Amino acid sequence: MLTLRAVHASYGPIKAVRGIDLEVHKGEIVCLIGGNGAGKTTTLMAVSGIVKPDAGSLFFKGECLNGVPAHEVVRRGICQVPEGRRIFPALTVQENLEMGAFLRTKDFSRNRERVFTLFPVLKDRKNQLGGTLSGGEQQMLAVGRALMANPSLLLLDEPSLGLAPIMASKIFRTIREINEEGVTILLVEQNAKAALKLSHRGYVIENGTIALQGRGADLLENEEVKRAYLGE
Amino acid sequence: MRAGARDAELHGGDAAGKIRALFGRSPLFRSLVIGAWAGLLLLPFKNVRAALLLFMTVAAGLVLLYGARAFGRTEAWKKSAFRALLQRGARSVSPYARSSVLPVLLAVFLVVPLAVKDYYLDVLVMAGIYTLLALGLTIIVGFTGLLNLGFAAFYAVGAYAYALLNTKAGIGFWPSLPLAASAASLAGLLLAIPALRLRGDYLAIVTLGFGEILHLVLNNWDSLTNGPNGIAGIAPPSLAGFSLGALRPYYYLVLVFVILAGISVVRVKNSRIGRGWIAIRENEIAAASLGIDATKYKLLAFAAGTFWAGIAGALFAAKMRFVSPESFTFTESGLILSMVILGGLGNPYGAAAGAFLLVILPEVLRDLQLYRMLILGIGLVLLMVFRPQGLLGGRGGK
Repeated sequence: MLTLRAVHASYGPIKAVRGIDLEVHKGEIVCLIGGNGAGKTTTLMAVSGIVKPDAGSLFFKGECLNGVPAHEVVRRGICQVPEGRRIFPALTVQENLEMGAFLRTKDFSRNRERVFTLFPVLKDRKNQLGGTLSGGEQQMLAVGRALMANPSLLLLDEPSLGLAPIMASKIFRTIREINEEGVTILLVEQNAKAALKLSHRGYVIENGTIALQGRGADLLENEEVKRAYLGE
Repeated sequence: MRAGARDAELHGGDAAGKIRALFGRSPLFRSLVIGAWAGLLLLPFKNVRAALLLFMTVAAGLVLLYGARAFGRTEAWKKSAFRALLQRGARSVSPYARSSVLPVLLAVFLVVPLAVKDYYLDVLVMAGIYTLLALGLTIIVGFTGLLNLGFAAFYAVGAYAYALLNTKAGIGFWPSLPLAASAASLAGLLLAIPALRLRGDYLAIVTLGFGEILHLVLNNWDSLTNGPNGIAGIAPPSLAGFSLGALRPYYYLVLVFVILAGISVVRVKNSRIGRGWIAIRENEIAAASLGIDATKYKLLAFAAGTFWAGIAGALFAAKMRFVSPESFTFTESGLILSMVILGGLGNPYGAAAGAFLLVILPEVLRDLQLYRMLILGIGLVLLMVFRPQGLLGGRGGK
C-alpha cells in the first residue's frame, strides 16, 4: 500500500532521514520505533507531505507521492495525527470533528457516529471547547478528527506521549479496534514495548536509517532491541 | 496576547472576579455603582448637573437592561404568542436572523434619516464606511488570524482608484466601483504573496511596512496623486439620472453596501471557506493535516478582506469628493484593528458594533475636547481587562 524507497529528508540543516526503505501492506499496523532524533517523525512528515524528501521515492497505492502537497495527500486517503495532538482548542469537540471532514462533501454523520462509538467520552463532551479536555481526551479527539476524513492509511505520531499508562493502553486498544475496522496504520512510538505488542511489523530506526525490521513479536524478543529500547 | 485572552476566557480573569464580588450580585446595586462611577468620571470635565444626568441615564439604562434580561428569561415570556410572532417575523425578513434584533436594527436604520439632523447622519455614514472596513479586516484578522497593521493601505487603494478613474479618465462611480475593489484586492494579493511565508509578529511588521510605503508613495508621487494636496473634484455617484451626492440618498447607498457586506461575511464564515480560515487561525499544521490548502485559503482571505476595503475606499472618496494621503495613515489602520478587536475578534456583528462605537463615541465626547481620547483609551483598556473576548464575544467556530 505504502512504499518508501531510499528516502532522504532533512529538517532545516539537519539530515534527519538518510535512506529509509519501508513497506506498509493493506490492513497492517506497522510501527517505527527508535530514540529521540532518530528520524521517526521526519519519516512520517515526508509521507504526509509536510516535509519534502531530498531524495528517494514514495508510492501510495501505486501512485507517486513525491512533490504532492500536504492537503492533496489527505485527499488521496492518508491522514496524519500530528505529534502533540494539535486539536483546535477554541472550537468545540463537535466543531473539531467537523473540521476533520473538511474535504468531504457528502453526509459524514456515519463517521461521526463511529467516532462517538470508539470514544464515548467525546459524545458526552461534544459541546465543550477542545482546550478544556484532558490530555487523553484531546488525543482521542485528534484521532477521531483524523478518522472523519475516512482515511485508508492513518499516520499516528506518538499517540501515547504524555499520557498516564492507563490512558495510553486505552488509546492502544482503540488503535487496534480502528485497524480491525479496516484502516491501515503507520505508528511512531517511543513506548517501544506497547507499540511492538500492538503492531504486526516494526522497524527500528537509528540515525536516520533502518537498523532492524521484523514482525512485532520477533522484535520484542530480539536481544538488541531489548537492551536498547525495552530496558531489559 | 491572543493566547492570554483565551486563557482568561477559559478560566475567568482573577481581577475581574474580585471586582465582580465587590460590586455585589444585586443588579440594582450594580447599576447604581456603575452609574455613579461614570458620573464621577465626568465630574472633572463638566458640571455637577451633567454628572448627575449621566449617573441617572447610565443607572436607569442598566436597570432597564437587567430587567429586560430577567424578563426574557421568564417562562411566561418564552411561551408567549408575542415572542413567537416576533421570531417568525424576524425569520421571514431574514433567514440569517436568529433573533429579532437584526430586523429591528434594520428598521431603525431605514427611518433614522427622516428624523435626525445632517450632522448625525454624516456621523452614521462614516460609521457605515468603517463597518465595511471592519468587516473586511475581520476576514483577515478575525477568521484567518493573520495580523494586519496596514489595512488602511487597501482603503487608500480603493479611494485613490476611484478618485483617479473619475478625475483623470472621467469614469463614473458605478463602473469604477468594481475596478476600485479589484485594485484593492490585487494589492492585497500582492502583499499576501511575500507575507504567506510569515506569521505572527513578522507578518504584522510586513503589513505595517506596506501601509507606510503606500502612504509615502501617495504623498510623493506628485504627478499622479498630487502629493499631500490630494485630489479634489471627485464626482458623487448617481443612479438612473439622479445624483446620490446629497447626504440622505448617500446614507442609503452606504447602508445597502453595509447590508451586502454583512450578509456575505456572515455567510462565508459558515461556509467551507470560512471553516478553512478558522482552521488555519486555530492551528496551521493541524489544518494542513486535515487537507486544507493553507496557501490558497490565506490568499483568498487577503483578496476577500481587501475587496471590502476597496469598496469602502471608493465610497469614502465619493462622499468626501476629495482624497489625500492624510486620511490613510497608520492611525487609521490601528483604528480599524481596534474596532475589530473591541467588538470581538472573529465576530462580524462585533466588528460592526466596534465600528459604530469607535466612530460615534469620539463625536459624543466632542465636548470634552482633548480628554475624549483619554477617556476612550481608558475605556478600551478596561474593556480588554474585564471582557477580553470583546463586546459581543469573538473567536469560536460559530
